[in-house]
Amino acid sequence: MTRLPAPWGQWIDRGQDISFTFEGRKITAHPGDSVASALLANGQRLIGRSFKYHRPRGIFSAAGWDANTLVQTGSKPNVNAERLLAVDGLSVSAVNYAGSLDRDWGRLVEKFSKLLAAGFYYKTFFTPRIAWKFWEPVIRHMAGLGRVDEKAPHAYYDKEYLFADVAVVGAGPAGLSAALEAARTGASVLLIDEEPEIGGSLNWARDGSDDLKNRVRAEKGIEILTGACVQALFDDNWLEIVKGNRLYKLRAKAVVAATGCYWLPMVFRHNDLPGVMLGSALQRLLRLWGVAPGKRAVVATANDEGYAVALDLADAGIEVAAISDLRPHRDEGRFAQEAGKRGMRILQGAAPFEAHEKNNRLASVDLVQAASGQFQERIDCDLLALSAGRIPASGLLSHAGAKFAHEAHMDLPSALPAHLFAAGSVNGRFSLASALADGALAGALAAKDAGFAAEIPPSVGRDALGVTHPWPIITHPKGMEFVDLDEDVQVKDIQASMADGYEHIQLLKRYSTSGMGPSQGKLFWPHVQRLMAKAKGVTPAEIGASTIRPPMGGETLGHLAGRAFEPVRLSAMHKRHLELGAVMMPAGAWMRPAYYGSDERAIDQEAKAVRDGVGLIDVSTLGGLDVRGPDAAVFLERLYTWTYAKLAVGRARYVLMCDQTGVVIDDGVAARLHEQHFYVTATTSGVDRVFRLMQWYNAQWRLRVDIAQVTSAYAAVNLAGPKARDVLARAGTDIDIKKEAFPYLGVRQGLVAGIPVRILRIGFVGELGYEIHCPAQYGEALWDGLMAAGQDFGIAPFGVEAQRILRLEKGHIIIGQDTDALTHPFEIGMDWAVKMDKPFFAGQAALRAHLEKAPVRKLVGFALENDKGPLPKECHLVIEKGDIAGRLTSVVRSPSLGRVIGMAFVKPEQAGLGNLFDIRVDGGAMVQARVVALPFYDPKSQRQEM
Amino acid sequence: MAALRKGFIDTGKIAPVLPALALADFSLKSRTGFKGSGAASWLAAQGLVLPDDPNQACTDAQGRMVARLSWGEFLLLGDFAGLEKAWSYESAPMCFPLPRQDSHAWIVVSGEVAPKMMAKICGIDLRPQVFPKGAIAQTSVARLNAIIIADQIGGRGGFHLLSDGSTSQYLWDCLVDAMLEFEGAPVRSEALSKETHGQTDAQG
Amino acid sequence: MKIMNCPLNGPRNISEFAYGGEVKPVPAADAPTPDWADYVYYHDNQPGIVREWWLHVPTSYWFVAVRDVTSDKIIATYRPEEAPP
Repeated sequence: MTRLPAPWGQWIDRGQDISFTFEGRKITAHPGDSVASALLANGQRLIGRSFKYHRPRGIFSAAGWDANTLVQTGSKPNVNAERLLAVDGLSVSAVNYAGSLDRDWGRLVEKFSKLLAAGFYYKTFFTPRIAWKFWEPVIRHMAGLGRVDEKAPHAYYDKEYLFADVAVVGAGPAGLSAALEAARTGASVLLIDEEPEIGGSLNWARDGSDDLKNRVRAEKGIEILTGACVQALFDDNWLEIVKGNRLYKLRAKAVVAATGCYWLPMVFRHNDLPGVMLGSALQRLLRLWGVAPGKRAVVATANDEGYAVALDLADAGIEVAAISDLRPHRDEGRFAQEAGKRGMRILQGAAPFEAHEKNNRLASVDLVQAASGQFQERIDCDLLALSAGRIPASGLLSHAGAKFAHEAHMDLPSALPAHLFAAGSVNGRFSLASALADGALAGALAAKDAGFAAEIPPSVGRDALGVTHPWPIITHPKGMEFVDLDEDVQVKDIQASMADGYEHIQLLKRYSTSGMGPSQGKLFWPHVQRLMAKAKGVTPAEIGASTIRPPMGGETLGHLAGRAFEPVRLSAMHKRHLELGAVMMPAGAWMRPAYYGSDERAIDQEAKAVRDGVGLIDVSTLGGLDVRGPDAAVFLERLYTWTYAKLAVGRARYVLMCDQTGVVIDDGVAARLHEQHFYVTATTSGVDRVFRLMQWYNAQWRLRVDIAQVTSAYAAVNLAGPKARDVLARAGTDIDIKKEAFPYLGVRQGLVAGIPVRILRIGFVGELGYEIHCPAQYGEALWDGLMAAGQDFGIAPFGVEAQRILRLEKGHIIIGQDTDALTHPFEIGMDWAVKMDKPFFAGQAALRAHLEKAPVRKLVGFALENDKGPLPKECHLVIEKGDIAGRLTSVVRSPSLGRVIGMAFVKPEQAGLGNLFDIRVDGGAMVQARVVALPFYDPKSQRQEM
Repeated sequence: MAALRKGFIDTGKIAPVLPALALADFSLKSRTGFKGSGAASWLAAQGLVLPDDPNQACTDAQGRMVARLSWGEFLLLGDFAGLEKAWSYESAPMCFPLPRQDSHAWIVVSGEVAPKMMAKICGIDLRPQVFPKGAIAQTSVARLNAIIIADQIGGRGGFHLLSDGSTSQYLWDCLVDAMLEFEGAPVRSEALSKETHGQTDAQG
Repeated sequence: MKIMNCPLNGPRNISEFAYGGEVKPVPAADAPTPDWADYVYYHDNQPGIVREWWLHVPTSYWFVAVRDVTSDKIIATYRPEEAPP
């Protein structure tokens, strides 16, 4: 490993050696190295293969601006080696090659590149039509980067919210200056940069310094977030930032985008070879990591910055064979002058025409006269630095909806949305002095926008630096001049796409795939724009800018998922269920016991225990609402279909709720605890919606009523079965529970086992039953008290599965299972619960309209004619004369009745008692069912009133 | 009777000494609430000092906290048994008690780094300069609805978190997970009680 | 993510809110069926400024927002018992 001496390589710690592997080869590195810089330091120039032609690729930007150096690390595909910090023990492999990285037989594709011209997806492989079936897997195998590891272990990803008065994106000179200026006003400033350290070009440009960085680090009002990629800028200054395995969501009052610029490359034949790179890439390699990436360089430039690169190369001991300046006239900039003074060989008006390859890397370059195209000379070199101008890094501005104007051969922001400011080179201010001044202005404006008193410094115009060449494109008769490295798009592909009629940028982009790769064409878009303009005979301004969309850098599904918060609701008795061996099942967010024991045979036993003795089920998940106030009864009358004004205190009544279209949406029970107080239950999954609706209606009606959601405040059990009263008496209660004193549908408040309770005598399962509600913190004590009291009576805990059987035997419907999004009460035999003669209730108008029309279906109870054959399941279809006539909503084998029963929607004419209908079961077989009366069990409903 | 009460949180391993970031389950401490268009006037008539605006909390001489959640909703942290006894439908028109003792778990977080930890599960800016003592946010925490109240707890900045009792174990686990990187840990409620409400850890 | 200003809770991320439909005059209880059908089923869905019900979910608080549906700008929010601004 060779390194330049200090002060080159300011980011690496030479005192320490670390190592990782690349393609199995050991690579030695220093802490601070990127994987890419370490590879280059170890002489590994070839890092990957291109997407389409499998061409050799190496470092081009050294800043992660392109997809050349995507690598795989373990199970992570497509990691940018230029942005990946080298750490000890890392295992890195190259992507997208067949055979070996050095000898990739996939490169044969290049020989057939004519077949792969723009739009080849749509043209070449479709003749004959069947051909695509053959070619698609081949192409998919050859293209595409990285490899998905289906056994990748789950990693820990999370998210964090951040807040700032002023967020400054980009910690280059303009960003640093903006942050300082904003912090001076007292605003809290968050400064974000994707590099490991702040400074931007100050760290690697020829005229860099540390003073500004130190002042920013010393400023208390500035929080610094480095190594963090701002992926997106969304509405109301909402920024998505990725750092490591964490996704940050930043809300800033004002944002300064000091995102800098990319260096504009040149377009010529084989401009993608390892060794051809942006001038800024060379400066980064030298100053940040002390890597001398070659021995002999040619610098192709169209501005003064190119000369700075040449001077840096010379200072680092790399021979500069020539400076090829595209412009006819000499640059008067200070770097050009210094290069002249040093006697560097400057070829004015010369341009690179073709790069030659040897051993997968640059070996020489042919220069031509830019004006005439006439061959000038071939120069042996292993480095070719490019500096054709600047491309403002305006991605975030684009996300926010900024407008751009084409001036000085660049797209510069012309109008920004509120609370967003641009500064520095993204704003066309390229020299250090103007970037600093522009940053200070933006920082002050942003702080003022965020509500702080700020003095606004004067604005500065653009200066001469950052000259961008209008046409840094030298075409070659044999092609392979790339205008998109990610997707291997050549000049001729753009021309062919235009010839095929794709003249609009958005269409051309998709058809040619230029700009569709991971880097969104950020380095080559200006060339595509120029080529399009030329082909169309218009100006680049008329072509316009392509839209840059989030995310700016790579993000994984893990980043988006984060900790994947999934709330789980547990009842107060949850631990007791687990101790009793319950198999838990989800019910919305709740966990409920499905049954107790090791297998499903427990279900029938639980059901039998309730029918013959006594059972206890946790019904805490039932929704609970306290509706209180002088107008409470009036409110319920308007909301539910039945009447409640005359319901006596101490009594409960069924409630059925419709939406405004008359569709049944919830049911439950209203228990009147006081003239002004109804305790209303709702379904487990429906209570949130019911509560919201209640609030919404009363926001309009403004009745003297208050609604409180108390679901979690009460634990509840249903003590059910012929021996329920005995258990309650044994548990001890101050309530008179004799049948006459506390009849069916009665409601009482008092103590059970020393615990304050509300008891509703209702019977979902059709037996003598007490639904006992107590403050949740007493829930476990209540469960324990009742289980202990029930021991002598053989009390059995029962779960949701047994309850479903028991309720179906009683013909009780479950909203959402036996009803759907169109079910109105008259279809399910709920006419008795709908009082159409009330002045008003929600859905009444729609139900009136329903009554005027003929019914289209009816929910009926059925019993299977033959239990021995295949059994139908919920949602199996009722078939009549080959057509669908309805469907099953519930079906069980009833242990109490010893036969298969269920409920089904059928046509009204099929609904008559004793009628036979057909059900198509799994596999297409037909079984017969007979309509029977509901309830199936205890038809006179005497048991619940015992 | 109160002895039969039980919180729902299995706190896991308890730190022997108070860490820089601490978490405690206050669920067995007393609290209540009142709500309704007549709540403010009735509570004021009982001699309670009420915050002027919604989403503000104030602490009374006994160290009890009165948190105003809306124009007509109040959350009362501490022993307000006297108020509950004084209340009736007749004496307190359009003012109704809320079962806050049982509907909501009460978890406290204490430590100067608490806002940073909370930022991993909550989208509200809880930094002390924008969310000072007595500020209230009713928002989403780890996808749960929750009430956050800034306070001095254990002699340093912290928050009271009140959220649905049935999800308290889930919330607790989320908090413990979020605290890991700050080396935060659960502590017994007594460790944070003295400076908060001056009440002992007597149950109920 | 957009910010919406809740009259009770102040500015919050839009993810804390749920949409509740346009604010429309409710027909009288005994209004003819076509009037109710119009109220229940017919949505104007026109570009321009609309008044809408919005719910702040953590507090279950309903309020009214005035929104320009063409620009998605929230112009104002107010308590339902207040007069529109």
